[in-house]
Amino acid sequence: MGKIGPVEMAIPFFITLIVIEMFWARRRAPSAYEPKDTLTSLALGVGSTVMGALTAGLVVAAALWLFQHRIATIGWAWWVWIACFVLDDFNYYWAHRTGHRVRWFWASHVNHHSSQHYNLSTALRQTWTGFFALSFVFRIWPAFIGFDPAMIATCGAVNLVYQFWIHTEAIRRFPPWFEAVMNTPSHHRVHHAINPLYLDRNYAGVFIVWDKLFGSFEGERDEVAIRYGIVKQLGTFNLLHSVFHEWIGIAKDLWSAPWGAKLGYLLREPGWTHDGSRDTSDTIRAKWLESRSE
Amino acid sequence: MPAVPFILIQLAGSVIAILLVALLCAKLRLGDDVRLQGEAEARELAGLAVTGFEPSEVAIDRAGIGALLRDPQGRVMLLRRHGAQFAARLLDSHAFARLDRNFLTIGTDEQTFGQVTLDLGSEAQVWAASLRRLGGA
Repeated sequence: MGKIGPVEMAIPFFITLIVIEMFWARRRAPSAYEPKDTLTSLALGVGSTVMGALTAGLVVAAALWLFQHRIATIGWAWWVWIACFVLDDFNYYWAHRTGHRVRWFWASHVNHHSSQHYNLSTALRQTWTGFFALSFVFRIWPAFIGFDPAMIATCGAVNLVYQFWIHTEAIRRFPPWFEAVMNTPSHHRVHHAINPLYLDRNYAGVFIVWDKLFGSFEGERDEVAIRYGIVKQLGTFNLLHSVFHEWIGIAKDLWSAPWGAKLGYLLREPGWTHDGSRDTSDTIRAKWLESRSE
Repeated sequence: MPAVPFILIQLAGSVIAILLVALLCAKLRLGDDVRLQGEAEARELAGLAVTGFEPSEVAIDRAGIGALLRDPQGRVMLLRRHGAQFAARLLDSHAFARLDRNFLTIGTDEQTFGQVTLDLGSEAQVWAASLRRLGGA
């Protein structure tokens, strides 16, 4: 029998909360859910779990290799758990930020954003190609400085579980002291929005302080009606298209781009083109600000 | 009889669970029958789909399931219902259009985006002609 980790233990609660949110939606916001969208999100979640199980051994092996070559031994004291959790959340912030700002990583992470809905099922809409994109590298390096890989994995799982409940429109705001420190539904709605003001903001996992420290924070404004998804909405519930569309886009661009520009289609921000024919989140925001000032 | 691996039991349970959740979503009639609320919404959605797209002409399907929009540069955008939301594409020379009285069926070269038939009333013929000018119909 497989080991049951924090994420597996939380699955029954995830499903229960989704059902509760659906009944809330029936009374308050019937368009917050859509059956095909929900099925696509949950199928992406199941596929992600399968891919995670298939590749977990290699990620663990990489972390153990780093741990065997560690420069210090930190141990299992209570304060080490706190340090590990904070460090892992810091790593999550940069992994996530890179996931939005480098197309190679975005091709994997875009799956999580391609729903036009924002509800608890969206939280489970996870990538199938994270291992292929090597996103795990951002999270395992603390093994090299002496954090035990089992502790890192546990902190990462708790981080993931925390992020589930913030994918909802059912909760408006928490008291200011909580909103100031923690990632909340309000902050994360901003992150999933395609409104120009909100694009590529609020990358935090658990602690919103990272966004405030590194200049990527944007507070939710009541006067802005949020639209969710990606700038070029998928327009289909086709599961395989949802998983692979950005990878296919990269392949097409690499094929047709001049040699000097090919690397840019892998490593520059999504929307970057060598001829400026598409928009990035930065150019979208700049054009939007310009149109407002006219 | 060999034991079924735990991961396969987990997978089967997950698939059954997500089908039941999606079924419940449909039973509760969530995301049911969403329509464009008017020209303002069509304009807002167009502007979010393509930055700087400010339509000068808008034709909304009579039932509100989609719209065609044209900006002063002559670009034409198709806005169509996708589940309980809307998705948009700029139409180019590869666009497909078929006119049947007041009904205009439009598609793009993007297979997964599909086609939509809009009831544009008397405006349908004018829009069909302008789509033909894009070169593909």
